[in-house]
Amino acid sequence: MASKALKHLRRFTKSTPLERGLGPMLPEGYKKFYNEWKYSEPAAVNYVPENQKWIRNEVTNEVLPVQDVPLPLKYPKEYDEQLWGGEAVVQGFQKRDMFLRRNPHFWVPPLQRSVVYSEVLNKHISVIVTRRAIQLINANYGFDHYLLKTPACDLKSLLPLGLKRKVLQELHKGCPSYADTPDKQQEIFSRYKTYLSAYTEEEIEWYGYSLKDAIKKYEDQIKAATKVTPLKTIYRAELIEKLKTAKIDEANSEGLEVAGSTWMQKMNPFGKKQET
Amino acid sequence: MWKTLGKAVAPILRESLILTPENVLQQQLRTTYILKRRNSPFLNKNGSLPKRLKAKHYIYDLVEDTNVNREPDMNVILTTYVAGLGDVGDKVAVRPNYAYNKLLMTGQAVYASPENVEKFKDYQSNIEEKTYSSATSQRAVDCLSRVTLSIIMNKETPWVLKPWHVKASFRKCGYWVPEETIVLPTNPITGPNLELENKEFFVTITVNNMEKVNVRCKIHHWTTEVVDRLPHEKDFWKKKLDPVFSEDAAILAELTPNKGLNADQ
Repeated sequence: MASKALKHLRRFTKSTPLERGLGPMLPEGYKKFYNEWKYSEPAAVNYVPENQKWIRNEVTNEVLPVQDVPLPLKYPKEYDEQLWGGEAVVQGFQKRDMFLRRNPHFWVPPLQRSVVYSEVLNKHISVIVTRRAIQLINANYGFDHYLLKTPACDLKSLLPLGLKRKVLQELHKGCPSYADTPDKQQEIFSRYKTYLSAYTEEEIEWYGYSLKDAIKKYEDQIKAATKVTPLKTIYRAELIEKLKTAKIDEANSEGLEVAGSTWMQKMNPFGKKQET
Repeated sequence: MWKTLGKAVAPILRESLILTPENVLQQQLRTTYILKRRNSPFLNKNGSLPKRLKAKHYIYDLVEDTNVNREPDMNVILTTYVAGLGDVGDKVAVRPNYAYNKLLMTGQAVYASPENVEKFKDYQSNIEEKTYSSATSQRAVDCLSRVTLSIIMNKETPWVLKPWHVKASFRKCGYWVPEETIVLPTNPITGPNLELENKEFFVTITVNNMEKVNVRCKIHHWTTEVVDRLPHEKDFWKKKLDPVFSEDAAILAELTPNKGLNADQ
């Protein structure tokens, strides 16, 4: 143990985004989503993972250790507005001949514009997809099942994650988009309600936001909760109170209350009359 | 993906089987470039930082490009009658792109999931009256309604039009129409009568004892004597003609106009 501790002594462990800045302040629901999104192991799509520890050379019968080192993947900016079904861009080299220098190459999945239909939201959505995404939707018998069954690390992109939040919110409210047809509403809800048990209300509310958006949402919530009254308003109220206790007649007069309501005051955007 | 699924949705897994991937994904889904390192990376020691990859570890070979592989047919259950495919409740195997773009997205079909298979199992047997006799009947009706049939009759010997004349003319056009399905106009058509050359009437065909379709017909006189033969009329189906029986005018006007028929002709 001691040797292991020594080995790790000089290593600087970088703090995660949830440990610095406003990260620790975020609700537990978001932290759970973030860990599922960023720190879970996604499915191997662009390569065949090494599952075994050892491999035997078929010619020499030599046993050699192997380790699973995933290919480094790239996610372009557009990735967050599209539905790639777990695929990514692979940057690497092609070596086309023994006597040729390696050539840089990007393996980009073919993209096409298509439509996905969400039964819960009762909406057709036009998105750019890969063939794999459509196949996954078909294999899961529908876009909603695909979203709800797939963990965040595989959906990866912000578009399906945001849609998943909307679907979960809709389910949590009991499918209000089918309010006109109660039979249909009941059928849809009973089809998807199983998925709801994996999430609490807070988790649904905070699902699928990027860290930046989550922090903004958190800040907005804090801002909305704390209503700031300008000090001048407080002091003014205090002064009027004092004058009243001192039994000064002007404190009760009309002029003091409506002092600011001239036409100039209305023009001035900062001159909004505060409740005293 | 499935490795982490358990962690993400552990609570439901115990309650229900809906999240188990086995019943959904029967075959492995790989629809992308699958790559392989040409040079295997350095082995990492237990508990230490992973070793840096060198340029040679970024040389990849293409194992498989699954985008060019042919996808197997997909099963869907129809929710409406689709001409040439099937009626409501039929489970049909179609190409995946057609199924997704034309059937599923338009709401003409649903996925053949176990739930839907159960739902549509007895749909056809519970229907009291069928709207369509078969999957292709509507297509046959559409096809026949576009035809202008030229019924070739003798120019010399007297005749009365009979269903077998119509059947023979249909056969010449490539349609096999049984005699008992042909209903001629109530008034008999007799000849030879050269006035009929520029007039049209309709016969009614019954497809599968169910769908009825009116077919536009025209008499053409023919003789074995080459000199007596009427001159060849080019694209006779494009000409607008008067009805043989004036009471049929409304029905003939309703029939699907022929391709290339000009309104001014």
